[in-house]
Amino acid sequence: MLTLIARRTLLALAMILAASALTFALIAAAPGNVAALIAERTAGPSASAELVQSIADDLGLNDPLPVRYGRWLSDSVAGDFGGSLRTGKPILEEFAERAPVTGLLLVCGGAIALIMSLTIGMLGAISNGGKIDSLLRALSLAGASTPNFFVAALLVMLFSVTLGWLPAFAGSSAASWIMPCLTIALFPCSVLSRVVRVNLQEIMSRPFATTGFAMGYTRLGVLTREALPNIAVPYLTTFGAQFTLMIIGSIVVETVFAMKGIGAFFIEAIRFRDFISMQATLLSFIMFFVFVNLFVDIICLLIDPRIRRQSNA
Amino acid sequence: MLNKFRRTVFILSTLLFTTLATTIPITSSAQENQTLRIAIKQETGNLDLLQNVSALSTYSLIFEPLIRYGTDGQLQPALATSWITSDDGLTLSFKLRKNVTFSDGSPFDAQTAKWNLERWMGKPEFSWIGISDAMKSIETNGQYDLVINLSKPVPAALYELTIIRPVRFLSPKAVDARGNQTAPIGTGPWVVTENNNSRTLLTRNKNYWGNTPSFANMELKVVPDELARSNGLRSGDLDIIGGDWASPLSPRRARSMQRDPNVAVVAEPGTTSILLTYSPKSPLLQDKSVREAIDLSLERNAIVAIIYEGYATATANLFPKVIPYSGNRNPLPQRDIQAARTKLEQAGWTRSGNSWIKDGKALELELMVSEEALPGSRRLAEMIQGQLSETGIKVRVSSVDNATIHDRRPVFQYDLTFMATYGAPYDPHGTLANLLLSDVDSGPDGKIYMSPELDPVVRAALNAQGAAREEKMQAIYNWLSENMAVSPLVSPKRLWAHNRRVGSFTLPATDYQMLGSDVTLSD
Repeated sequence: MLTLIARRTLLALAMILAASALTFALIAAAPGNVAALIAERTAGPSASAELVQSIADDLGLNDPLPVRYGRWLSDSVAGDFGGSLRTGKPILEEFAERAPVTGLLLVCGGAIALIMSLTIGMLGAISNGGKIDSLLRALSLAGASTPNFFVAALLVMLFSVTLGWLPAFAGSSAASWIMPCLTIALFPCSVLSRVVRVNLQEIMSRPFATTGFAMGYTRLGVLTREALPNIAVPYLTTFGAQFTLMIIGSIVVETVFAMKGIGAFFIEAIRFRDFISMQATLLSFIMFFVFVNLFVDIICLLIDPRIRRQSNA
Repeated sequence: MLNKFRRTVFILSTLLFTTLATTIPITSSAQENQTLRIAIKQETGNLDLLQNVSALSTYSLIFEPLIRYGTDGQLQPALATSWITSDDGLTLSFKLRKNVTFSDGSPFDAQTAKWNLERWMGKPEFSWIGISDAMKSIETNGQYDLVINLSKPVPAALYELTIIRPVRFLSPKAVDARGNQTAPIGTGPWVVTENNNSRTLLTRNKNYWGNTPSFANMELKVVPDELARSNGLRSGDLDIIGGDWASPLSPRRARSMQRDPNVAVVAEPGTTSILLTYSPKSPLLQDKSVREAIDLSLERNAIVAIIYEGYATATANLFPKVIPYSGNRNPLPQRDIQAARTKLEQAGWTRSGNSWIKDGKALELELMVSEEALPGSRRLAEMIQGQLSETGIKVRVSSVDNATIHDRRPVFQYDLTFMATYGAPYDPHGTLANLLLSDVDSGPDGKIYMSPELDPVVRAALNAQGAAREEKMQAIYNWLSENMAVSPLVSPKRLWAHNRRVGSFTLPATDYQMLGSDVTLSD
């Protein structure tokens, strides 16, 4: 078991390394003179060519790409992501200030997605082809097809501008977090509810479900006692993937609701061409992706002996 | 198992929402009633007067200059009550305002003013400010007399002293042992009480020498997204949005908000111009007739109506008339496609199908735009592409990011592009010196136009004093027109919006500032 976990962890680290090299190269390959842009922001509208050159030298922009990557990677491993070109503050300090906002958004959104998807999936399975099942399927499809920014705009127009029930921005009260959390939860909730519904349908056609009915259990009883535990692995795997994708959703949600989280930091870094912050944020996103999925893999190994046997084989 | 699962989910969700509800403070409504809430597009920053990383408009709430830039470019007393420029232009004498203190209680006097000016005057990094470049010495004469001696006349010196930074005054107690600013302590009407990446809170300066604001507090809320800002205004979460540097409001958004009875849109003449500029290194545009044909093909009023939703004025002048020394008003050229074609024919271009050809080369130009550098420029470019196509001039719109345009503009790697003048209080001297003189390094900004013949004309105007200044300035504008060196398009209006909670609202003299003098809350 420990060997399996160690193997998965090593694989995860290799993925982080490869993804970090790729993102570093992509950011470096972006067109335009970053030093000139920084010079204008730091020294006013008439920044001189000498200043542009000195900024390029200070940032090591004239060094070969492998040298720059190696320097950045070694500093990052030592916990030094450098300073933000936009705010001037150390990036770790920025992350420390902003991580609670994004963390709370993801946890609340994840909790809503978890509860709602199980509820909707179960209701659909109980209805099984009935009107409720059809309605929930249509709603899930609509939820999975609607982009975050559109959902956010609709919610703000309805609950803030028209009804005046909720604040348009997050941060000042608990009520102000309702719309951001609902917005970020909508897509994963829609996808996960279909996962629950489809897997339950498949499980309910298995012989042990028929045996359950023969033993006198109701449909709800078979669903909860026999079917639900059997969809744990596909559900958790999809939940892990959706939870990690929520970090991408946070970029839009934090911008629309004026939240100062890591997603908003990333979009501000892109606008400013703050490549140091962009690299650090992308690395943190990659690590989030890899470690959440690693965690889900380990949970699945722990709860399902079939996966352990397959992995050992 | 199901019961256990349900119980766990219930307990976890209850804990989560209880924590959320109890840990996030709820602002009391009583405090909010006295607070004016303004949107800003980015966090304020540390408000260091010598660094260029903080939001410009916030400085004006906390720090004051010697002279204030007033409406239509009039110079108004601020920390100096009067000033005299010597006949030779080499000495500037200021009478300082008495009984002024910084918000930390330190007195403002000639010594403090001298200390502040010496922090930046004469330093190489501030050589772009003429008065800094020419500063010889600073003297005090008693407690409230300040004299700046210059090595050469700087006709725009007084205007330069009205800009946002570094010219404003900081408490001498707000620096560390190395002289670096540690806190934003000024003499202005507001004091920073909280400053983080989501908002800046300010309270009235009890020591303020002038009229104190009618409301007690101000919140500058960071809202980077324009749609979110307008929704926040309409929902009542914000009171004021707008201003090029505070929280830009696009013409389209302003027009849509004008239909909301709870919102008032304020549009006043702007201080900048949007220009269609011709690369002096473009082979096709060396031909003046081509530039003239382009100018004759432009329909500026259509640009005003469609791109700017009426919130702009069509112009043929480099500067709007609210800018000092902006010259005589040129009549707006009427669009004349036939005249444009005639110009091209007279210059030897021949029509071939839908395009023009000369010496085997087709008249096809690249119009480089960056939506980040100038919001709305892509739509503007497409409109101009359409207008020029009627004359037969083919335009390829090249949409690039901000970094690329900063890279390509200084080396004139384009045929056509859009540029904007700096606006008040930096103009006319700022734009003329940086964007027209060939020997001034304007870095990533590039040049509106560049010619060895133009340089002496511009230099003569920038060095001219007194009555001669107006005449010399006009000579620049005449040269630009006669040589068709640039096609001014429009002067966009300054756009702000507020909700009905705001009683009276006046715009600041420039968009580099945050608030006008007469803003009140109705409750």
